[in-house]
Amino acid sequence: MSPVGVLVVGAPRAAAADVESLLTLLPRELAVPVVVALHRGPHDALAAPLGRRCALPVVEPDDKDDLVPGRVYLAPYGYHLLVDKGCVALSVEPPEHGQRPGLDALFESAADSYGPRAAGLLFTGHEDGVAGLHRLQARGGRVAVVGEDWEGGEGQEGEVERLSPGGLGAWLARLAWAPRARGLP
Amino acid sequence: MSTGGASAELESIEVDLLLEGVARQWGFDLRSHARPLLLRRLRRHLREERLDTFSALQARVLHDGEALEGLLRTLSCTPTSLFSDPAFFRDFRARVVPVLRTWPSVRVWHAGCGTGEDTYALAILLLEEGLWGRCRLYASDSSEGLLADARTGVLPLPGEEDARRYVEAGGKGALTDYYTRDGNWALLQPKLRDSIFFTQHNLATDGSFNEFHVIVCRDTLLTFNRTLHNRVHGRLFESLARFGFLCLGRKESVARTPHASAYEELEGSGRIFRRVT
Repeated sequence: MSPVGVLVVGAPRAAAADVESLLTLLPRELAVPVVVALHRGPHDALAAPLGRRCALPVVEPDDKDDLVPGRVYLAPYGYHLLVDKGCVALSVEPPEHGQRPGLDALFESAADSYGPRAAGLLFTGHEDGVAGLHRLQARGGRVAVVGEDWEGGEGQEGEVERLSPGGLGAWLARLAWAPRARGLP
Repeated sequence: MSTGGASAELESIEVDLLLEGVARQWGFDLRSHARPLLLRRLRRHLREERLDTFSALQARVLHDGEALEGLLRTLSCTPTSLFSDPAFFRDFRARVVPVLRTWPSVRVWHAGCGTGEDTYALAILLLEEGLWGRCRLYASDSSEGLLADARTGVLPLPGEEDARRYVEAGGKGALTDYYTRDGNWALLQPKLRDSIFFTQHNLATDGSFNEFHVIVCRDTLLTFNRTLHNRVHGRLFESLARFGFLCLGRKESVARTPHASAYEELEGSGRIFRRVT
């Protein structure tokens, strides 16, 4: 298996607290960038609250910022956040499923740019993200869903791994992270 | 390799061939666009055209100029309503307009105008601020099809939401002052439309065409990859007079471009930069 060079996370608004908990599990010496798309409104200030208990800096990137290992990149309101090889690509494509930032957009870009070197995590509760997660899985990415009422079914590559919030730590620990120097593809 | 990996490989080959074909046949080089974004737009276009493969799209686009225009239209993601980002127009009024008042004449370039919504919003603002008489507003896009739409000065009829954004943008009258209604359409005042110079210009390949005091280029460069993004910033820099203003999108910056040190960001503004050297 290829070592993981990026972790992408998608979550509907209702799962904001779960994302905060996830971020507390990330080790300070994490050797890859973490990219988060969370449904949000125009006036939600999210980076500060999400970063409160996280050992890593949480930032809302500008377009074409480097993806630096050990940082958490949060999608800004009004833009889709895509990952290009080693950098951020923001997009003003129309909202999808009524959302911008969208979850499918992030997963799809991770599938294209990183493929098997991406790990993807989707918090359930919204139709957005399901198709993107399946696409990432089909490209060889390590994927899992967290939460109840998963209606995404099976992708072409079979069942998607399902986790309880308590199982997240173990899942993260099982991933084969890329060595720090090789964090970028 | 999994089946997904094999089909991804094939799709990648087809996309490369399509882009090569478009560049050689039509002179539009999309190979320097941000790849993940380009792939998403191309897939959307494929679905809308009800085609199965990029090879089929390639066959169509190479032989038919209108099919190319359709493709360029899908790739463009400019705002579809007036004053779509009211905070920018508010900042422009507060921070840029007072300086423009002190200059005898002002040339403004809106680069990447798409179907013109932001161009017309800017024109309304300049009119309200009493600057219309000494401003020349140039608006450019790479797509002739989008420009043709922009030139008509016809927009979907603005609603309550548009009126609210107009007020939030610091509007001094009523949005309805600037158009006449025709069914579900708004015909913008001829004095706005006729004083804007719409011109075809491809930021990726064409050089500087004048010196400007204000360049508005918001969220247009998101579509380019880093190399082209930086090259285009070089062109914008060459086209901007000293002490002129460069207005970028809310999440764009000159920080990583070759001319970063030549600009100062206006504090508390939504990414308005002033050329200082």
